[in-house]
Amino acid sequence: MTVTRDRRFPASLYRQGQEPDVRFTLANERTFLAWIRTTLAIIAAGVALELLGPTMHPTLRISASLVLLLTGVMLPAFAWIGWTRTERALRLGQPLPSSPIGLILGLAVIVSGALIVAAILLGD
Amino acid sequence: MSRRFCSETEGPADPGLQPERTELSWRRTALALTLGSLVALRLVPDALQDARWIFAGVLGVIAGVMMWFIARTRYSRITQAMRGSDPSEMPGGAELALICAGMTAIGIGSTIVVLSAAG
Repeated sequence: MTVTRDRRFPASLYRQGQEPDVRFTLANERTFLAWIRTTLAIIAAGVALELLGPTMHPTLRISASLVLLLTGVMLPAFAWIGWTRTERALRLGQPLPSSPIGLILGLAVIVSGALIVAAILLGD
Repeated sequence: MSRRFCSETEGPADPGLQPERTELSWRRTALALTLGSLVALRLVPDALQDARWIFAGVLGVIAGVMMWFIARTRYSRITQAMRGSDPSEMPGGAELALICAGMTAIGIGSTIVVLSAAG
């Protein structure tokens, strides 16, 4: 019996466990892509706020923008780690891992929103 | 081993159309990246008064177009793997890791743009 060597990346992931139902793998992939689209949106919001935003308190505006952008810098790493951890759990038949990524995103939006409101109220 | 890999049905490899939904997810992502890059191409060189930022926008558009084709090649590999018997034909995480790196670079670049515009 010949066994084709699995050349998928990362090798350390595909060495473990056994092949899960394809549908779960594809759902995991779509979740990763959804987080990437979320990253694009939050980065676009951060840039648009600074480049296109109406007149508002400059320091508070740049702070709001940076909160969004720094979250946008972190999200892809979380998306990748979430994908690998979920794929590993699927292969090993373990419960799916949780992730703080949703909480981080929610907090970033709340903090940024509060800064924007303050920036508008305080004016230029 | 999942029975999916031994399937020989006509029509879609998966009646739930998961490969198709996955391809569409890739296409949505490609569109978002391409459109965002086109807008950046329009706004950033003007805002920063520096024509070199055009290259960043062009790179983003190219990445978005590549992603569109990756959607189709991954779909082909998935359906082939589902109809065949070798699960390692399924696409792996290499393209996902590249996207992660590219998106992090976009985030860092955008932070530079904003700090330059404000400073």
